[in-house]
Amino acid sequence: MIKYKNLSVTYPGGVEALKNINLEIEDGEFLIIVGLSGAGKSTLLRTTNGLIMPTIGEVYVDDKAITKAGKKELKEIRSNIGMIFQTFNLVNRSSVLKNVLTGRLHSVSTLKSTIGAWPKNDKKIAFECLQQVEILEKAYVRASNLSGGQQQRVGIARALAQHPTVMLADEPVASLDPVTSRVVMKYLKKINEDFDITTIINLHFLDLAKEFGDRLIGLKDGELVYDGNIEDVTDSDFQNIYGRTITSSDFIGEDE
Amino acid sequence: MEEQLHLQTLLEKMNKIRIPKKPFPSPLLYLGIPMVLLFTNYSYNKIGFSFKDFQRNLDNRHIVTDPLFNPKWSWAIENTASPMIETVQIAILASLIGCFVALPISFFASKTTNPSRLTFLLNKSFLNLIRTIPDLFWGMLFVAAVSQGPFAGVLALTMFSLAIMGKLLSETIDSIDVGPLEAARSTGATQQQAVYSSALPQVMPNFLSYFLYIFELCIRASIILGLVGAGGVGRIIETQRIFLRFDRISPIIVFILLIVIFIEQISIYIRKKVL
Amino acid sequence: MIDFPKQPVSKNVIKAFLSISIVFLAIWSASGLEISLERLAKAPQLTWILISALFPIDLSQEALDRIIPKVFESLYIAWTGTVIGALFSFPIAFLSAKNTSITIRLPRFNNKKNIHLYSSYVMKQILNVIRAFPELILAFIFLPITGLGALTGTLAIGIHSIGTLGKLSSEVIEGIDEGPLEAIKASGGNKNNELFFGVVPQVMPTIIAYWLYRFEINLRASAVLGVIGAGGVGQELINQLRFRAFDRAGTVLVATVILVLSIDTISGAIRRRIIRGKSVSIVEANI
Repeated sequence: MIKYKNLSVTYPGGVEALKNINLEIEDGEFLIIVGLSGAGKSTLLRTTNGLIMPTIGEVYVDDKAITKAGKKELKEIRSNIGMIFQTFNLVNRSSVLKNVLTGRLHSVSTLKSTIGAWPKNDKKIAFECLQQVEILEKAYVRASNLSGGQQQRVGIARALAQHPTVMLADEPVASLDPVTSRVVMKYLKKINEDFDITTIINLHFLDLAKEFGDRLIGLKDGELVYDGNIEDVTDSDFQNIYGRTITSSDFIGEDE
Repeated sequence: MEEQLHLQTLLEKMNKIRIPKKPFPSPLLYLGIPMVLLFTNYSYNKIGFSFKDFQRNLDNRHIVTDPLFNPKWSWAIENTASPMIETVQIAILASLIGCFVALPISFFASKTTNPSRLTFLLNKSFLNLIRTIPDLFWGMLFVAAVSQGPFAGVLALTMFSLAIMGKLLSETIDSIDVGPLEAARSTGATQQQAVYSSALPQVMPNFLSYFLYIFELCIRASIILGLVGAGGVGRIIETQRIFLRFDRISPIIVFILLIVIFIEQISIYIRKKVL
Repeated sequence: MIDFPKQPVSKNVIKAFLSISIVFLAIWSASGLEISLERLAKAPQLTWILISALFPIDLSQEALDRIIPKVFESLYIAWTGTVIGALFSFPIAFLSAKNTSITIRLPRFNNKKNIHLYSSYVMKQILNVIRAFPELILAFIFLPITGLGALTGTLAIGIHSIGTLGKLSSEVIEGIDEGPLEAIKASGGNKNNELFFGVVPQVMPTIIAYWLYRFEINLRASAVLGVIGAGGVGQELINQLRFRAFDRAGTVLVATVILVLSIDTISGAIRRRIIRGKSVSIVEANI
């Protein structure tokens, strides 16, 4: 269970990224957040695992307060939360396997991981996660030699290797084409259903949100302006969230 | 916790997965690293380092450090002003001549602007050869050719500048956009005209940047050339060194540092304004 | 009447000013050094005389016995100096780079404020001081202490290399992509994990390429250091020239050129391979 209580975040420059967010997310939910760039989606995601700290208010992950967590506790919380990024954030020169193994860093001593003495079990987990996203045969390929879609799948495998209870996805398909995006979204949905992992996804393509979402959250200028089931969402709701008329750039479009 | 076990059991169910083979590490690493270590050890021994001797020598450091930290400023100002100016003048002439001569050669040494394979090879090999000779060697050679004095220094550093500008510029020309060049050729211009109108303007900013860099290098090199009689402050440093007058050398070093910093600042300013 | 857009004045003015000052500086230098165009015109002829004296080179056993070991000595000096430079500059670079530096808090007793010592600032200044001294000057200073011979040259080259490699490496570290570091942090990794799995893989290829490039430069430097007796082939060249044994001087020159060319070629090839990475066939784009 993730709880955001009176959450506000103001950046050092004075920008108010989030204003008094109150939200509760049950275990196993598949949640999609939409909103314009700068509406606070990324910030909201990053307060969940403490990459950004709340200025006012609190974030509770399984009843543990993020701001009050000590260094060790914060690492433990993070190891239970997997995150994938718009730019994949893989280490380009390392192999796919090495990238996925970084998801196991929390459970291996620093010395062992640095010299590459990964316990057999961790390697097994890495392979299994690669198998889950159907990219096992590329285990020893250099990450930068893969296509965008493949790289994002490696990102998912890395997050999966943590055996997380929560999955955060910050604009995971923004740099991918329609076909690849749908595949990635399908993997995320499948993981959510198979393993009961709470999933929170930032998207700015409204048709993808409608296609895959269960519950929809709308952010506008740092405020929560919509919270409801995806079936109940209308076009005027979208217009409210965006504060402008919907254009074609808000849709990813059909597969070619 | 329960969710984690759930995930784990589901994953374990697929124990029938084909794990890809780990690729054999490239021979470069396998052979390279032991070779490097062996060679390092061998070189180290050949140099003949003895810790005892080294410690004993360190005790001698006072010969150097005492005068070094006792600079004689007035002597330095009196006697080194003129050689310093000489040093700067050598650097100015050498970098100017060397860089400008390097311009046409660089265009010949690049496949992009030189369709003739023969002249390309000639020029490129020439540049590669020139690059292998260190600046002081040029100094020694020209001193032997035109006798001691700053003239030898200018000639030596001209070759030095030519070599560096040649390499840098030809590599830059290799990576320019060929589009404008082809366009010029298609209007009926000769290769020369095409290069002059389309390729040259593209590399001018780089040329200027390299020129400033080479000028700084020439200042440093020019100081040292005096060692072999090619003019500049080096001559004075050498004579003072032989008599262990480090008290005179340290102010000279400071002056050199100041000049180098000053020129660096000018260089930065010019880069900002023009590039 | 169409108003043609005017070219920005300031840039052109500066360009004109620069061109004029360059011409002025050239004339000032040439006259100060008493170098006239006639002198320059005579130079090729005199150079040709020298070249014809250098060749054919002396390939007698005696000459080779003297010269070849010295050539290799230059190689050993350059190599060991580069190894010293690489070894010490590596940790220093991490301390100098702003994103990987450490902060030492010094507690003060009289007032409550702590002094923060940024290792990045301190290290960068130290590196600047070291870099300011060319290898030759360093060799000068070491000569009376460590005596004539290869050790002095190695120390001079080694220490100077620490300076240049330290600065270059720290710049590489500062220029990395922070994204993968964020990912490691988000999955529960600590600072060391970020360093070894995020920073090091990104910077190693470029840094190793810098080490190799430095080796190429150090080879030339070590050849030169011989002139003041710090080991290597420079001593031979200056001796042969002084004794007017031009054919032997030619031998030294040719030997040096061969050594430098070979090392340049090998090192260049390794550098290109490192930067490019193993050539891989195009991966299919299907998902």
